[in-house]
Amino acid sequence: MSEELISKKDLLELAGISYGQLYRWKRKDLIPEEWFVRKSTFTGQETFFPKEKVLERIDKIQTLKEDLSLDELADMFSPTVTNLNYSRDELIKRNIVSTSVVDFYLEVEKGSHQFHFSRMLEVFVLEKLLQSGEINLDEGKMVLHVLKDNAPQIKQKSCELVVTRKLGVSSCLLLINAEAVHFEPGTKMVAALPLMTCMEEIKAKLL
Amino acid sequence: MEKKSRGDLVINGFGASNGGTFNIVTLNGRGTVNSDLDCIEFECNGSGVVNGNVISEKAKVSGHARFKGNLDSQKLTIDGSAKIDNNLYVKHLKVSGKASVGGKVKGEEIKVKGTFTVGEDCEAEIFKADSQFSIGGLLNAEQIDIKIYGECKAKEIGGQTITVKQKGSSFIGTLFKPLFKTQLETELIEGDKIELENTIAKVVRGNLVKIGANCQIGMVEYREEFSKEKNAVVGESRQI
Repeated sequence: MSEELISKKDLLELAGISYGQLYRWKRKDLIPEEWFVRKSTFTGQETFFPKEKVLERIDKIQTLKEDLSLDELADMFSPTVTNLNYSRDELIKRNIVSTSVVDFYLEVEKGSHQFHFSRMLEVFVLEKLLQSGEINLDEGKMVLHVLKDNAPQIKQKSCELVVTRKLGVSSCLLLINAEAVHFEPGTKMVAALPLMTCMEEIKAKLL
Repeated sequence: MEKKSRGDLVINGFGASNGGTFNIVTLNGRGTVNSDLDCIEFECNGSGVVNGNVISEKAKVSGHARFKGNLDSQKLTIDGSAKIDNNLYVKHLKVSGKASVGGKVKGEEIKVKGTFTVGEDCEAEIFKADSQFSIGGLLNAEQIDIKIYGECKAKEIGGQTITVKQKGSSFIGTLFKPLFKTQLETELIEGDKIELENTIAKVVRGNLVKIGANCQIGMVEYREEFSKEKNAVVGESRQI
């Protein structure tokens, strides 16, 4: 673990929240159990958090809690995918995908026009990468293939999708619970996309 | 699961079942269920054993029940004694007898009068105990209200409002006092509003901290207000 840690006391001060709020959010699973890192200090055991992640999460909770209940927030942050089902048109209407990308997706995949969550994620990832111009359509197919093959893993773990290119040859990998990844010098990392964030973005758009 | 196709399971006397989906499950006498149960109502009046997970809306244990898996129920009342080997998920839990959970407890409202043992964390919105309890992990609740009736233990306590009171001493209570330790022992208490009596803790952190009689606290960190009764022992206190 090379991340910077922040003690509970400093966190409360920095974020301006109380113990009550922190414990409430923990109870509602808004802050995952794994982030509570116990370490012994001279005053006994203390709890620490990965600084960047927890501050980002608290910021999100504080901005969203005006509009959403804590339970809805919990649904949004939970990695277990909710039972959502939307049609192609609805996804377009809710601004999750554009028409061209969803049609490309359906053409490659030849599936139905009803989208459950993992397909939504796939098409959303595709949308992000294609629209930003980071990958081309052939690479899009490759990305889709990787996502499809590893669908069960994606649902449960924190995954990151990485697209690389070397001498014009592209490759796509899925990192599962990885801390860091290194390439040889000639390789260019074209895109890196944490899927967990994508899921949160989709959920935010749906709710 | 459709409700209409559900039947009832009743075991009177000695009997065993393979589990399944039911409307009402009643174990009178010595009933054994050998796998998972999914039911609307679960009742155990004798000595029942379930060798699997139980999902129910309403569960009641008046005799002795043993769950060798998880128990997930909207409502659970324990008047006798119940042992749950794994986790307990319950909206409303009321214990008047003895309950022991090997894993963690997650609920909304937990009311305990009797003995309550939890192996790991215990989470609820309201935790109210007039009892003796022991929690191996963190006791986390919005509102924690404890009246000490014996030896209470929790590794850590966290929440918004935490109140720990000594129960009103009766004549008989004072007679037997030397025999029973009536105190709460914990490493850490963190909350917004904390009021303690008869508590031994290493560290207490909060906004408003009030340390009452017979407390032994290693260190108090407070933000707004701190008060301490004369016979309480506080090693160090500082405002942050």
